Parts: sequence; structure tokens; C-alpha cells
Amino acid sequence: MRRLLPVVTALAAGLARALAIVAVAFFLCRVMPGDVVDVLGLEGGLTDAQQAELRAALGLDRPVIAQFVDWGAQALGGDFGRSVRFDRPVAEMLVHAAPVTLELALGSFGVGIGLAFGLAIAATSLRSRVLDAVIDALNVWSIAVPTFCAGVVGIIVFSLWLGWLPVIGSLVLPILIIGLDNAGQIVKLVREDLAEAVMLPHVRTARAKGLSPWRIALVHVLPVAAPIALVLSGLVLSGLVAGTLTMEILFGLPGIGSLMLNAVHGRDLPVVLAAVTVVAVALVAINTLVDALHRLIDPRVTR
Amino acid sequence: MSPAGTMASGGGRRMAPGTAAALVVVGAIVLGAVAAPWLTDLSPLDQDLGGLNRGPSAEHLLGTDVLGRDILARLLWGARTTLMVGTLGTLLAFALGAGVGLAAIVFGRLTETLWFAVIDLVRALPATLLGVLLIVALGSGMAPVVIALGLSYAPLVALVVRTAHAREAARDYVAAAASFGGGRLHVLVHHILPNLAGTLVTQAAIVLPRCIVTESVLSFLGLGSSPDEPTWGRMIADASRFIEKAPHAILAPIVALVVLTTALSILGGRLRRALDPTRAAVAPAEPSAAILAGEGALS
Amino acid sequence: MTATTELRDAPIDAAGHRAPSAAASDRTPGDPRAVPVLEVHDLGIRTGGRDLVAGVTFSIGAGRTLALIGQSGSGKSMTAAAIMGLLPPDVTVSAETRIELDGRRLPHADDGAMRAFRGTALAMVFQDPMSCLNPFMTVGAQIEEALWRRGVVDPVVRRERSLALMAAVELPTPESLRRRLPHELSGGQQQRIMLAMALAAEPRLLIADEPTSALDASVQAEILALLARLQARFGMAILFITHDLAAARRLGHEIMVMRHGRVVDFGAPRTIFTTPRHPHTRALVAVREMLERPPAPRRSAGTPVLEIAGVGFDYPPRRFLDRPSPALREVSLTLTAGRSLGVIGESGSGKSTLAAIVAGLKTPISGDVRLFGTSLAAHRFALPRALRRRVQIVFQNPHGALNPRHTIATAMREPLDLLHIGPRRARPERVAEALGWVGLDPDLRLRHPHALSGGQRQRVAIARALLSEPDLLVCDEVVSALDATVGAEILDLLRRLQAERGFALMFVGHDLEVVRWIADEIAVLADGRLVEHGPADRVLVAPASVAARRLVEAGRRADQPSDPAK
Repeated sequence: MRRLLPVVTALAAGLARALAIVAVAFFLCRVMPGDVVDVLGLEGGLTDAQQAELRAALGLDRPVIAQFVDWGAQALGGDFGRSVRFDRPVAEMLVHAAPVTLELALGSFGVGIGLAFGLAIAATSLRSRVLDAVIDALNVWSIAVPTFCAGVVGIIVFSLWLGWLPVIGSLVLPILIIGLDNAGQIVKLVREDLAEAVMLPHVRTARAKGLSPWRIALVHVLPVAAPIALVLSGLVLSGLVAGTLTMEILFGLPGIGSLMLNAVHGRDLPVVLAAVTVVAVALVAINTLVDALHRLIDPRVTR
Repeated sequence: MSPAGTMASGGGRRMAPGTAAALVVVGAIVLGAVAAPWLTDLSPLDQDLGGLNRGPSAEHLLGTDVLGRDILARLLWGARTTLMVGTLGTLLAFALGAGVGLAAIVFGRLTETLWFAVIDLVRALPATLLGVLLIVALGSGMAPVVIALGLSYAPLVALVVRTAHAREAARDYVAAAASFGGGRLHVLVHHILPNLAGTLVTQAAIVLPRCIVTESVLSFLGLGSSPDEPTWGRMIADASRFIEKAPHAILAPIVALVVLTTALSILGGRLRRALDPTRAAVAPAEPSAAILAGEGALS
Repeated sequence: MTATTELRDAPIDAAGHRAPSAAASDRTPGDPRAVPVLEVHDLGIRTGGRDLVAGVTFSIGAGRTLALIGQSGSGKSMTAAAIMGLLPPDVTVSAETRIELDGRRLPHADDGAMRAFRGTALAMVFQDPMSCLNPFMTVGAQIEEALWRRGVVDPVVRRERSLALMAAVELPTPESLRRRLPHELSGGQQQRIMLAMALAAEPRLLIADEPTSALDASVQAEILALLARLQARFGMAILFITHDLAAARRLGHEIMVMRHGRVVDFGAPRTIFTTPRHPHTRALVAVREMLERPPAPRRSAGTPVLEIAGVGFDYPPRRFLDRPSPALREVSLTLTAGRSLGVIGESGSGKSTLAAIVAGLKTPISGDVRLFGTSLAAHRFALPRALRRRVQIVFQNPHGALNPRHTIATAMREPLDLLHIGPRRARPERVAEALGWVGLDPDLRLRHPHALSGGQRQRVAIARALLSEPDLLVCDEVVSALDATVGAEILDLLRRLQAERGFALMFVGHDLEVVRWIADEIAVLADGRLVEHGPADRVLVAPASVAARRLVEAGRRADQPSDPAK
């Protein structure tokens, strides 16, 4: 129980955070000058009376708090309203778009984490200066080269010049590019963390016990690095959002990012709100899980 | 810019070639942006209808895009917006982050807890998502982008301030100052801010390229500048629809953007090493003890 | 005991190392004519063209202990690391070096080959057992890992053997301790686990690198006694590395003194103590003698400067919903003008918290502190300036007490400016003068702290505290971070300054000898409560409380030169 209490508090904090973010998103979507009715009015030449009628129908004339409560209750039941532009249930559109984004995100997350840890572990155990230079370069790459720039160059090189890949619809290039970016963001931290872990006194004890380098690495170094790895994988997520958004646009992938962006341009607020909510809540959920897991596996944190 | 001054006065040590090159690049781009009106007679918006999508020529040094606009002029004028928005975003992030961080510290534990709960919240939203939301709320344009950048990176700054403060506040010399009757303000001014300054400058060098990149991402997504306000991100977005027809039009801003952010992050890295508070002015420990502490490695 | 037989019947491993019992029966333990277990010849250790250790030669026989003593930076731990083959990557052993184990040369340059010896013929225990144990593994698993390394493959046998080892290091209830994680054990228990792990190797040579320095005084004595008993039983040679001459005398058959990477003295404990040859050894012995003969306590006289009445303090909870943990409960003490009060206790006893409260740095949750008759509770424990001048505090770590960015002069101007001491123009002059009080060259004021030695920095901290001519000086573990000889100088300086200036001294420490030397009266804290308070002589001769008795007995045992050779 004593060990579970911090986990429970972490989960509660996560829930509160998710709620707060959804509320902020909702209110930001409501304060905008010019709602969807204005846009439709400009486009379709609706009269003032028609506009007022439409607002009433959409519930836009009620107090914001009441709107939020209604919307929240419905959203919890999986009903995000209807798209104003396409006149389809938003939930349906999300479900339709989610697989592409998930595939993209999971793929690049795997590539990123795998690359970062592979490089960092290799550099630490081989004490290789070359690998450290590669790590530095990858780090600078992730700071300096936005994913969409890499994407454009990738399209030019691989599709136009070499003709290897189709430009639109393929996930290979986007996954590699986002993965590289993610790896660059954390690889240096992982490397520094491992370098610190191998200097810990208990690792010296393990060496004094005459254990093999492999056993030391697996049993005595990695468990120390694991909690930090968890935290770092949480860190990758925000890079993942920017990455998937731009890649979906650039490569014409019909994912949640494309959905959200098209909705922003079209002032299709129910869709924007739903997309932002889904992404933000997913992020908070993952971060909260990471935090809870961290508290659960590290005996020193729960003390 | 301040990094240049600090680096140049770094105790007469010889500068690494990478640092020198990065300084030259950043200097050249800043100069180009400032001097854009004098460097080119061409407007970034005028369309040369007789020369759509041309390669480099004497008239258009970097050629024209599909609408016949001069790429060099757009690049130079775009640098203005890009640098301006990036710098303003960084400044706002620092004003908000350092301001809130320090105020929270000075006003005590409860304020600190409250503020950092808010910061925690903002941190949970990635910069891009926050940008999307703010632009939805405030409309597109440069101001929402600057606000989005400031809000997104302020938490990072506030956290750095808090961490640095916690590190300094635990020192015995802070306790000693308190025992002489030094209040929070005295401790802040005499002990914490000087040690914080290096950390903040380093942080600025990290935040600036990120702001520039995020701005370009938002512009690329069509959420930033308006079409008649060229930025590099916007140029890439415009040209990305014609990649096959006009690769030169898209490569020019990409190269410019990547070169700038690379140079900035190299400078940031150098600055971090030069100002690292954990290395600066710390006594060399007993040699053997220091070496023993560094013992280890897997084999 | 079954544990003993099981250990003694240990199979001989593939490499053909004999079990310690066989070795012990070959030769009488302590026979100097026997072939030594360890022979180190002309050991040199270098890094970046600099000698860390040079020309070190010694040998240790089976069942014998060599105590290697030296202050920080003497190269003693490097010597141990070189024997184990655990030197850092950029540190190398010189070509002339020859290290032999049972007459066989150790391949100290070849890490892979050295690994065959570690955890078998060579074993080591380190200073801080908490950080030296893997925090993620149960202690039982860590001992079993060492047995597995030694070739005990059968898990049932391994389990039994690990329990026997835990019994051998005198741990109570091995069966339940086995399943605990390191942080759930006390410091003494942790070090016993480390010892059990080392014994699992059935080593010919055990290197103990400051094995008790991170432990509380009473635990230190227990671990040292255990080491001696284990040696008597298993017969391994021990290289015992320490900075503490008393501990060296207690455990060593021979003592070797190192300084700046060289051996400066060598001999039987008695010889080292009676006829030390090298000036450095003489200085070390002089410190022992000084501490063993504390000056006569001063008479109680004068008015009370400090009255602590029923003070309680809680550490704030670390996390939301946690309960605050008590640090001090109902502590009452008084100190009169010109006298010195020693506050002693083990780590976590609340002694430093008490010092911080007296200096106005922490606010108690209950009770009152009266300084010179003024109630601090009435001021909500925010000391008015006039009172601040009269109370000053010096901290443990002389490096942390000075801002690394400030020169000594700037650091010393701080109290002068904050406390408005003397006219502004006279202040630089006063800084120089104060440096003179503590025996420092006034020119040092232009330097930064990192250009000063630890002892010099502590002198600066003391001079700075004296600038306001305080009537009460609080010293929080001021010599704990210093080498013995430097610490003794600081103690002597404090006592001299006190005699000249007549301030009252509240001296917080964990080392009974040090506190006894400087204090006229001693207060003992245990778990946040005052368990004993009285004249130093009385507390030492007839301690009333269990905690005080433990401290005194630990000190007494460390004092007695038990010569295991005879």
C-alpha cells in the first residue's frame, strides 16, 4: 500500500492535468474572434437571422461553462459532436484518421528509442570516440534540422532523383525522419546517464566481484538507467507531435494531424477541439503512466 | 549579439574552427536581414511574370519561384521575420519564465507550488499544439506565433531557474549569508543571480534555435505569417506544392534555415561548456580522489 | 557451527585456488617467515605524466593485516585499486611494478586476465556501503551472485551458503534480511553484507578501503572487531586502508604510512606510536596524543548566554500527503558565558538542526531559545541585527561555505556590510586584520576559495564569523571534512581564540574524541531527544543513557591498542 500510494497520487495528478488541459483547449476554441457561423456566413451569405438561428442550433449562444459541461459529458461518452463542414460525427472522423497517426507515431517512437539506446549503450561499452561524435551530430541534427525540412529533402532525393519511393502515402520516410529526430533529442541524455551509471560505486563493487562486463551491464547498470529511460521516452512525445503533424501534411497522410489542420483552416471547431483533446489527453496519459511506472520500479523513489 | 561578445572575450583562448564558422554564419545572416533593403532592389512580393520558376541568373541571383518572385529577396526579407519572431519568442519566454520562476521563489512556497502547477500544465502541451490552439483563438499572424513561442518555452526557463535556485539555495554560503541577516533579496542578488546568469545565457542559446524551428514549423503549416509576409517556413510551405517543378525554390530556404539553426546550436553548445556552473570556479579536488571518482566503465 | 563447516568444506575452484582453511592450516597465522600472500614491489601509478604513487613496496602474509594509513590524496586508495586492477581508464601502472599473489605475478595491465582474480583470490569492501550495493537487488541475491561467480551453480547450495555467510558476519535473522533491499538495512548491516559478499569469494587477500569511515562511531568499532574475528576464522590477509590512526592501531599487525604517493613510515603499531621516524607520522601521532589528553575543563561561571527550552522541530514533508518527520523533540539545554558545550550524536540525531535553530536559520515548531536573555520566540525566530552580531555559525564543509565566485575579501565583507560593523572605510582594514587572527596571510584576501586549501578555507570561515565579535560561536562539524592533522590545528585554533576572546562555544560533532577535547560539558542527542547532558568528565566516565554508553564504549574500544599478533 505504501508503495502504491505515490502511484495513485501520480494517476490522480494526471487526471487533473488532463481535465485542465481539455478545459483550456475548450475555452481557447471559444474565445476566437469569429466562429464557424461567421465563416459559413461569409462563404454562404447567410443573413443575420439565419446566423442567430444556426448559433442557437449549435448551442453557441449559451454560457461557455454550460457549453463546456455539455460537451465534456458527451465527449466522455465518445460523442464529440458533428463536423460543421462535413456534417459527419467527429468521432467517426477521428476513428478513421487514428490508425495512420498511430502507425506513424509508434513506428517513429520505436525507431527513435531503439536508435538512441543502441547508440548510447554502444558508445558507453566500447568507449568509442567515433560513436560519441555520431551522438553529438545526431543531437545537433535534431535541434537544427526541422523534420519537415528533412522530409522535403528526403522527397527530393529518394523520390525525385533516385525514384525509390512514392512521394505520397508511404510511411517509411516519415517514420525514419521522425525517429531520427526523436533519437537526436534524447541520445545525448541517455549517453550522459549511462556514463554516470557506470561510475556508480555499486558498479565498481560488481567489477570487484569479478563479474563479466555483460553481466555488469545487464544486471547492475541497466536497471539504474531504466527509470531515466522511461522519463526520456516521455520527453520524446512532444517532438513526436510536431513531427507527425508536419509529416502528415507533407506526405499527404490522412491522419489526425491533417484532420486537425484542415479543420483549423476551415474553422471547423468541433473537429479542432476533438483532435486537440485526443492528442493532449493521450500525451498526458502516457506521461502519467510513465511517471507511475517510474515510481513503481525505482525502490528509492517510493521510499 | 551577446554570444559573440562573450565568446570573443573568452580569456584569449584560441577559438575552435567550428565556433568561428558558426559565428561568421550567424553574423552574416543577421547582417543580411538587417541590410535587406540595401542589399537587393527587388521586393520579395513582386512577381516577374516574364520569368516564372527560373534558375539563378544575373537578374535573380538565386532564381525565381513559381510565381516569379525573387528567391534571394524573399530569403533576405524572410530572415528578418524569422529572426525577429524567434528573438521575440525567446525574449517573451525569458520574461515569462524567469519572471514567474523568480517571483515564485521570492514570494515563498505556496506561490511557488501554485505557479509550478500552472507551468506543469503548459508543459504538458507540446509547442506545436499550443501554437495551433492559440492561432485558433487569436487568429493567424505573427503576434499569436510569438505568444505561442513564449508560452511554450517559458516553462523550460522557469524550471531551469528553479533547479538552479534549488542548487544554489542548498549551499552553505547561502545559509551563512542568512546567518549574517541577509534576506531573500540579498541572497538572490548576491549569490543566486550571479550563478544563475550563466545558466540563463546558456538556456537562451538553447531556446533561440528552438523558437526559430517552431516558428518555421507553424509557418509551414500555414498557421504563422500571412502570404505577403515571407518567412522561411512559409517559403518552404509555398514551394513544397511544386517540389517537382521547382526544387531550387524549396532548397534555398531549407539550406538557409538549417545552416542558421546548426550554427546557433553549435554556438549554444560552446557557450554551455564555457559557462557550465558545475565546472566554473570549482576547486580541483584532490587529484587521486577526482580520478577515483571517475573510475568505472563497463570493462 | 554448521556455518563454519560448510564454509570450510568449500570446493576448490577450477583455477586451483586453495580454500582459505587449507592455507591457514599450512602456516601459523602471523608467521613472518611464511611466503607472503601479497607482495607489491616498486608500485608506481601515473596519470597524464604525473606520478600519483611511486616506489611503494610491501608484503602481507596469510592471516596478517597491513594497515595502510594516509590522508586524502596520499595515494592509498589508488594503491588498492592498482592491486585489484580497478584503476580508472586513464591511469596506468608503471612498467617496473611487480605485484605477486602467492608468488604468482598478477597481470595488472590486462583487465580481462585480472578479472579471473577478482571475486576469487581478491576481494574488496569499500567506504560507503549504501552506495556500493546495487539498490535494485535484494542483498541475498547480491551475495548469491558472488557465490555464483565462485562457481556455486546449484541454487539450493547457493542459498544455504549465502545464509551461512550472513551468519558468519553476525547478521541477525539472515532468512528475513536476505529478501530486503539495501536501503532497508542500517549502515552497519549494509557493511556486513559487503563483507559477506567479499567472504563468498573465499579470498586470499581482502582489501578493506576505509570500511568504517561512512559509519557512525559505535558501528565503526563493531565492524572493526568483526573484521578481526573473521580474519582469525578464515585466515585471509587483509590490506586495511584508513585515515584513522586509532583504527590502524586497532587492526593492523603492521602500519604503513603514505603521503603524497610515497611510503614515509613502516613498522609495528607500537614502534609507529613510540618512535615515529617521519615528521608526518610524528604529526599524526601528535594528533592522537593531543586528542587523548583533553585540556582541563573551565570552571562554570558567568551568566547564561544560551537557554534552549523544550525545542521541537519537524522536517517538512517531502511530498504532498506525507507526514512531517520529527527531527527534535523537547530539547532543553543551557550554556554559560565563556564555556564550551559539545553536542554529540549519530547521524540523524538532530544535532545540526539544533545548531541551525540557535543560529536563527531554522524555526522550531515548539519551545523557545533565549539568547543573552532575549526570547527568540518573541521575535518569531527572526533574529534582530543586534542579536545576530552576537551569534555566529561556522559550517562543516569549508568549500561550500564560501561562494566560489567571490574573493575572500568579498566574502568577508558580507557580514561587515549586512551587520553594519564599523565605519564603511575601516572595513577592508578589518578584513585583513581578521585573517591575522586565524593565522592567515592577509594577502590571501585577493584570492578565490578554490585557490585555498581546506584548512585555509575553514580558517577564513572562522575569521568571518568572528568579525562581529560574537559572544556565542556555533560550530557545526567544523573539522569533519578535514584531514586529521588539519582538523587538530583548527581545534587548537578555536580553543586559543576562545581563550583570547572569551566567547561561548557550541560545538556540534559526531566524533567523541574531538568533542571531548574542546568541550567543557557534553550533551548527547539520540533520535532528536536529549538523552544526556553534563560535565564532559562525568558523561565520559559514567554515562547514564544507553546512547551515551554506546558512544563512549566505541571510543574506548578504538583507544585500546589490541595487538592481535601476540
